[in-house]
Amino acid sequence: MSEVMTTHPARPDSPSGSGTWSLTAHGVRTVAVLELRQRVRSTRWIVSLVVWAVVIGGLTALIQLTLSPMVSSGEPDDETGAAMFGVIVFLVLSLGMLVSPALSATSVNGDRTAGILATMQSTLLSPAELAVGKLLAAWTSALALLATALPFVLWSYLVGGTPIGRLLVTLVVLALTLLVVCAVGLGYSALTARTSSSAVLTYLTVAFLSLGLPLLFGLTVPLVTTDDSVTRRESVEIGQSGDVTSSRCVTTTTTTEQTHTERSWWLLAPSPYVVVSDAAPTPRQSFGDPLSEIRSAVRSARLGPDPIEDWCGDEITQQLVDRRTRLASEQAAAWPYGLGTDLLVGVGFLVLTVRRLRTPTRKLPRGTRIA
Amino acid sequence: MAPEHPDQATTATGLPEGGAGIEATAVRRTFGSVVAVDHIDLEAPPGQVTALIGPNGSGKTTLLLILAGLLQPDSGQVRVAGFDPVQDPRAVRSRLGWMPDVFGTWESLTCREVLATMADAYRLPRAGQDARIDELLALVHLAEFADRPTQVLSRGQKQRLGLARALVHDPSVLLLDEPASGLDPRSRIELRGIVRNLAAEGRTVLVSSHVLAELDEMVDRAVVVARGRTVSVETLNGPPSSVPRSRPWRVRALDEAALLRALDQQGVAHGSPEREGVQVELDTEDAAVALLAALVRDGVPVVSFQPSAGVLEQAYLALTEDRR
Repeated sequence: MSEVMTTHPARPDSPSGSGTWSLTAHGVRTVAVLELRQRVRSTRWIVSLVVWAVVIGGLTALIQLTLSPMVSSGEPDDETGAAMFGVIVFLVLSLGMLVSPALSATSVNGDRTAGILATMQSTLLSPAELAVGKLLAAWTSALALLATALPFVLWSYLVGGTPIGRLLVTLVVLALTLLVVCAVGLGYSALTARTSSSAVLTYLTVAFLSLGLPLLFGLTVPLVTTDDSVTRRESVEIGQSGDVTSSRCVTTTTTTEQTHTERSWWLLAPSPYVVVSDAAPTPRQSFGDPLSEIRSAVRSARLGPDPIEDWCGDEITQQLVDRRTRLASEQAAAWPYGLGTDLLVGVGFLVLTVRRLRTPTRKLPRGTRIA
Repeated sequence: MAPEHPDQATTATGLPEGGAGIEATAVRRTFGSVVAVDHIDLEAPPGQVTALIGPNGSGKTTLLLILAGLLQPDSGQVRVAGFDPVQDPRAVRSRLGWMPDVFGTWESLTCREVLATMADAYRLPRAGQDARIDELLALVHLAEFADRPTQVLSRGQKQRLGLARALVHDPSVLLLDEPASGLDPRSRIELRGIVRNLAAEGRTVLVSSHVLAELDEMVDRAVVVARGRTVSVETLNGPPSSVPRSRPWRVRALDEAALLRALDQQGVAHGSPEREGVQVELDTEDAAVALLAALVRDGVPVVSFQPSAGVLEQAYLALTEDRR
């Protein structure tokens, strides 16, 4: 032992040999199976699912009762169906985002408290395998909740008015959103020592994404409101002969307050409610179903105020309206950005988890023993 | 165990190359302003059982975590089975079995599932896994609990499952942190046998424990640490420590008065008589031999003459008087 006192500097990027990021199906499956076995047997799993199904089923029945009499014209089944579908999707999304953190937000610090994390870390499982395995297990549990809610979503689908594409896209977005929520919970559970802190932080983050950002969008309205000159077409009376008032369209340039939401729409986009609303193809009949309302509001926010105000109501007006509708449906989709942001957030938290699970560690979370 | 599974002994762990045992030189580790390990030198050769003893908070568990590759040392040189746990953690992990002091387990898994999960985590081939698990469960006498969830196990049984868990991948180096805590007397004796067998197979075993009387009969060497520093290395199964050290002996005779008279005649300082006899302080083992001979010669009916504490306990108490 001639080499005495060799210091080990902090090595942020370990060279080959540490295998932090090595990821094998075998390793991920080992961790995921362990997590699921442990969780499924230690919780009153069946009871939870039954309660969950009863809650969603009851609310679905209430929604149908409430909506049916409100729809008086057109094809009642299609409109009821579209509205029911929207409300139930929001319900499943909200409850899913509430329950999913409970599944993942305790998975790292809970294991640490129970003294079983270090045992896994001392095996040949890589930090990435531990993190991804835990994430997959939590996501599987979340998908079980989604699957339990599926009959009720299908119920509203069968009432009518919802194209199959809308159903499928919605389910995919719901599943991905729950994956992101699980990843956020996992990340916080790796960052904090106490399971209560990680659960609270996860709820705060999810609430910030889904409600806080839209609120922020509302609060920034004064910041993006400016006095602009706009082209305005309006009717001007040019004379009166008997009872008939003749008018013609006059184009003027005036200065008025314009709210440039095209500069702040991105604040809305990451909200899971916005993503799911905006991503789903429009229903056959949309009057007042929440998804379509949010979709058109977000897209119009992204387009910003129209530089031409048209109050004439003639053919040109109609052309302008059509043009804006076309722009909204073809070029103003916000969901790719929103979903992309959400997935990036999820990946970020997953990477954070892997980094926190690396051994040998330099630092310990405050107030924890390593085992 | 290995002889029954020769294929495993040579595959995953590579016992021959694990011949390097554990070498730690000048290891230091701090947590903020708290110095957990100040300067520990430790060597645990293969084929021997080495004890790591010291007061609470002397850095034993921190050192074991460093050896297990879970914690980075601030400075110092560590080699486990010939590899550096910081530079090459995977090489160390495949050769190292670690039994932590805080024994957590997956409460709702059965004993068999716990061991199967560990076998998977060490990437052992599925073939032969069942046989290996049966063998381990039999070794720690948990065969009848194989398919029961671990939450029904008592503390001592969990401890035994922890030992089986550390042995799943047939490691060449074993770190056992307080393995005897919670064990009933029979289990302790069996643990001693298991540990001796593991060393006899050429493995390196490092045991940290407070139960010094147990260690006396189990270990070959003892590294004593206090305040995060190595204060002494004792060799038990060899020539007695070269440095003469005064230690207490207990003498009991049928005729207490005669014993006390004889001790006074010999000029040997002694304590007051107690139930277990009279305590005398002797510098060397030679002095003990001489005193016993003198007592017998004087016709004192001596029934027992023995060190009043174990070798390790003596060393431990002498070295750690300034406990924090």
